[in-house]
Amino acid sequence: MKGFFENTWKHRAHVLMALPAFLILFFIMYVPMAGLVMAFKKYDFQLGIFGSPWNGLENFKILMASKATFIQMTENTLMYYVIFTAVGTVLNVVLAIAIDQCVFKRCAKTMQTLMIIPVFISYAAVQFIVYAFISTDTGILNKSLGMTTRFYSTAAVWPLLLTIVKIWKDTGYGSVLYMSVLAGIDSELYEAAEIDGANKWQQIWHITLPSLVPMITVMLLLSVGSVMKSDTGLFYQVTRNSGILYSKTQVIDSYILNAIFKNSNFGFTAATSLFQSVVGLLLMLFANGMVKKIEPENALF
Amino acid sequence: MAKKKDLDLAPSRKEKAGVGQYILTFFLLLYTLFAFLPVVLTFVAAFTDEKYITQHGFTFFPEKWSLNGVNAVLRYGKRLLTSYGVTIFVTVFGTLVGLLVMSMFAYSISRKDFRLSRFLSVYLLIPMLFNGGQLSGYIVFTTYYHLKDSLWLLILPLMVTTMNVIILRTYIANSIPAELMEAAKIDGAGEYRTFFQITLPLMKPSLAAVGFMMATAYWNDWQNALLYITTDSKKPLQLLLINIQKSIEFLLNNSNVPASARAAMGGTIPQYSATMTTVIIVIGPIMVAYPFFQKYFVKGLTVGSVKG
Repeated sequence: MKGFFENTWKHRAHVLMALPAFLILFFIMYVPMAGLVMAFKKYDFQLGIFGSPWNGLENFKILMASKATFIQMTENTLMYYVIFTAVGTVLNVVLAIAIDQCVFKRCAKTMQTLMIIPVFISYAAVQFIVYAFISTDTGILNKSLGMTTRFYSTAAVWPLLLTIVKIWKDTGYGSVLYMSVLAGIDSELYEAAEIDGANKWQQIWHITLPSLVPMITVMLLLSVGSVMKSDTGLFYQVTRNSGILYSKTQVIDSYILNAIFKNSNFGFTAATSLFQSVVGLLLMLFANGMVKKIEPENALF
Repeated sequence: MAKKKDLDLAPSRKEKAGVGQYILTFFLLLYTLFAFLPVVLTFVAAFTDEKYITQHGFTFFPEKWSLNGVNAVLRYGKRLLTSYGVTIFVTVFGTLVGLLVMSMFAYSISRKDFRLSRFLSVYLLIPMLFNGGQLSGYIVFTTYYHLKDSLWLLILPLMVTTMNVIILRTYIANSIPAELMEAAKIDGAGEYRTFFQITLPLMKPSLAAVGFMMATAYWNDWQNALLYITTDSKKPLQLLLINIQKSIEFLLNNSNVPASARAAMGGTIPQYSATMTTVIIVIGPIMVAYPFFQKYFVKGLTVGSVKG
């Protein structure tokens, strides 16, 4: 123990340098963790989180009883995770291979630069771009097809719409990671395959894809850790937070955001929040454990 | 024996451009259009006549162009400038201070014989696994810290993130020779001098990558603004954009827009074109800055996801 204090004193400069980030993490991340106890309390604005009276599992009973909201938003959260991850991964990989295979390097590079741009546009701005395409009276989609579909009140089309927006925004950027793996493949492998008479598709199948598998596995597993988290802006901004669409667009994160604005149902929301955090933690531990088994180098911890 | 290559693009294999290549390029071009045309549309719409949009809808090829939308936005220049100022301040201050405190933390926990660094690493990691969530954060920040309507809530929540510290720490561990820092110490440089004069300058590539990602996150952050900021003079660009409809009406009715000018706009508020103009103003700076940082964030992304 004495050695520990001596060591710390010797490194007092390092302690001091770590302090600012330590404090920010403490006040921004750690204190709100303690605030999660409000899931077990009957929240009272006057008394605050820690002063409010306990009410045991009351909030969770309400949670389980409310199929309409809780089950639905959990289902939506999971559904969008599955769609986005499946479609996103496939497209990221396909795009990365396509750019990698293109021999017009300059051209490919310029196109890639343009493809990445959407990822830098905030959802607050994206909603207006989406609006230009799907608004009832002025939207390009309705005008060019001669329809008058009311997209902002037709829940059924939103899983598709949101998937397209998500793909549009993230695919260019998502492919960059896979491209960096492709850039590391020894070009002699391809040359050897060509001499052996392998055509392009065979080369992709036997050389390119297998070399991407470790990265795909790692990315998929790590994404499992954030199943409960959603791209809030996509579900809150792009849908214009339209209540009629909630059955297909409300996810846990956007529900909590709405609850904060409505200043209501804090007990219920806190229970939802705790549920989200705990399930998130378990999934993260599971995901990391799996990565550790398969690709130890890529484990987060 | 993989050769080290430019991470941005794969090596150019010697290949003839056959028919297949042209088909491939064609499909890539299609995807590029899918990605980029919506951005083009905002530019076109910003300069399209308002009545034309109302009648014919948004289009890539309007027959009637107009500067009314742009003029309307420029007329509420003062509020726009204020919001720009807020966003620039938050972005620059948050990014620079964030880079500094995260680099110092990363440097400290990468010192080998520093026993506390194990605890600090775990302390850093926990927020990535478990967090209090939005609601708890909201209540703690507003009722316990009393920071409602404070710019600190735009700055602090995005300042230190576990992933960014990990990227910086990985970079220090893999790309900066420990001998260099030892040598500096032997030459009599103190801890702080070693960090500021030797380590920090060598961290430049990782700082550029993390810095750009941070700056984008600050610039695009609408959620904290929507949750916490209520005073007009503290509203960042994203919030101005979210409230744009209200803002345009308010500004055209209350600011010193002469009646003649309003008549020149056709008597109506050019809300579509004015909104699109604001969108361009909000997303413009990042689009201009990003090509310069492209090569850095590609590397940062790789390090961050694969941990070197």
